[in-house]
Amino acid sequence: MEWANDGKTRGGVLAHLERLEIQVNRSRKNLEDLQRAQAVESALGTKIHKLRCLRDELRAEAKQRQARVKASTVNVEPDQTPEISEQEVAKRRKENVKAILQAYRFTGLSGKLTSRGVCVCISTAFEGNLLDSYFIDLVIQKPLRIHHHSIPVFIPLEELSAKYLQTNIQHFLFCLCEYLNAYAGRKYQADRLQSDFAAFLAGPLRRNSLCNLLSFTYKVEPRGQSFPFCARLLYKDLTTALPTDVTVTYQGTDALSSSWEEQRASHENLFFSKPLHQVFTSFARKGEKLDMSLVS
Amino acid sequence: MYQSDSEGWASSKDLRSHLGHLESELRFLSTLTGISIRNYSMKTEDLTNTEKKEKSIMKVLQRHRLSGNCRMITFQLEFQILEIQNKESLSSVITDLNIIMEPTEYSELSEFVSRAEERRDLLMFFRSLHFFVEWCEYRKRTFEHFKERSGPARRGVTSLQPVVCRDWEAETKRLHSRDWSQDQCTKEKYPAAVHLPEGAASSCMAVRSTCQPGFELVIVWRVQIDEEGKVLPKLDLLPKAPQQALKLDRNRVLETAPLSFRALLGTLGIEAALESLIKSLCTADYD
Repeated sequence: MEWANDGKTRGGVLAHLERLEIQVNRSRKNLEDLQRAQAVESALGTKIHKLRCLRDELRAEAKQRQARVKASTVNVEPDQTPEISEQEVAKRRKENVKAILQAYRFTGLSGKLTSRGVCVCISTAFEGNLLDSYFIDLVIQKPLRIHHHSIPVFIPLEELSAKYLQTNIQHFLFCLCEYLNAYAGRKYQADRLQSDFAAFLAGPLRRNSLCNLLSFTYKVEPRGQSFPFCARLLYKDLTTALPTDVTVTYQGTDALSSSWEEQRASHENLFFSKPLHQVFTSFARKGEKLDMSLVS
Repeated sequence: MYQSDSEGWASSKDLRSHLGHLESELRFLSTLTGISIRNYSMKTEDLTNTEKKEKSIMKVLQRHRLSGNCRMITFQLEFQILEIQNKESLSSVITDLNIIMEPTEYSELSEFVSRAEERRDLLMFFRSLHFFVEWCEYRKRTFEHFKERSGPARRGVTSLQPVVCRDWEAETKRLHSRDWSQDQCTKEKYPAAVHLPEGAASSCMAVRSTCQPGFELVIVWRVQIDEEGKVLPKLDLLPKAPQQALKLDRNRVLETAPLSFRALLGTLGIEAALESLIKSLCTADYD
């Protein structure tokens, strides 16, 4: 077979071969892409199936729980037979109402009617620990006013009452509840730090009465001699129990190596995200782990 | 069976009047807090053993069951409180918390409920529930307000004064002093069609211009509860336009609309921002 010698035709054959090669590569790539996409699709399909099963399981569990609670929440009124006197029924109803009135403290707001109006009791808690309650005695008149109260002076009561007391008393009370609970939470953390982790602190914990500015010098190991870190926590948002500004500085006598810097930065993150006493609990646990490793 | 002796009558009357007083106190508290507790029971279990008694430490486990509702949301709670009394102090700690809520259509709530259960933070649950319900009601009233005031095109619509609002606190204050009946516009309507795709408690509002049917603005208004139980509204704008319009949009107005909407919210507040959005759909009809 005679090969054509001019570049054009040779170019033609080679070019054709090139085109064919490109086509093959392209179709191979498409096939690979398709296979990859199919693999992803089937993986997602499996995932969807798994999640659906989980969802059904959880739904069933939730239904069961609901049924259990409903069954037991049906108030205990054993027999409605006419043998039970009206008096007895009224007595039981009275006990029930009294109990419900008491139970309001679990919502954060409870109260008693007074001759002037109402005395509202605000309860506080932090992470399941029930803490102090405060009261505010309201006179129901136009305008509504506060007769007396046990709200600490550093809570912005005047500000809140000026904004909301006359227009929306419910909002006023819940806002007050927010501020008081946040304060109670901050105070709880500071108290726990002082009482449970005194060994980790050099000197007293410096704090203000609102417990929104804390400063202390601390170490991470219970056995260490020096206190290499100094922390300053500011809680600008008075409705939260976690700080908005955290500064940890390295005070140690060793040169600031990268490991110290790493620790310093990670401590800052910890203080932002976890309650104060829990941060120190994790320090203590780490220390215990170290100890165990030394012993063994 | 009625008591026939006078003494019986007197105590029965007292009982009834006392019960009446208690029930009115309960109604008052329910209105004041917005939370209505319908059923409550408690059982206690004494966990003090002899060893603890010697050290004068008392331990009691209380099992509480509570159910009721906060506006349209009903809840059922079971929780346990461990009370430890020693010489110096009494500590009460919630050791277990189970919450069941209906309706479950507020999907934003389910995550919040699990977090509250994890942290055993009963008080935060009620507090955030209150603020959540408040925001949902405001959202519903606002959407309804715009739905009512929109309809077929009519000339001469006067505008509400846009209120400059720089922070959510001020917005909340306006939310509470808002008197919807005082609206100065008497049934004058926007020439736009407002549709609430999810019904009355919709989390989004779709606005379609009656003169340019291809354009639609969907405002999504979610009420979110963050890690710390703080309730915040989150609004987003999803504009929809025909392909041709997108091609003509050289200034990329539609693309940047969601961001601009956020900025608008910050300056005008929710109501005025929504109003100006609805108006902007039909600027050709004015003047």
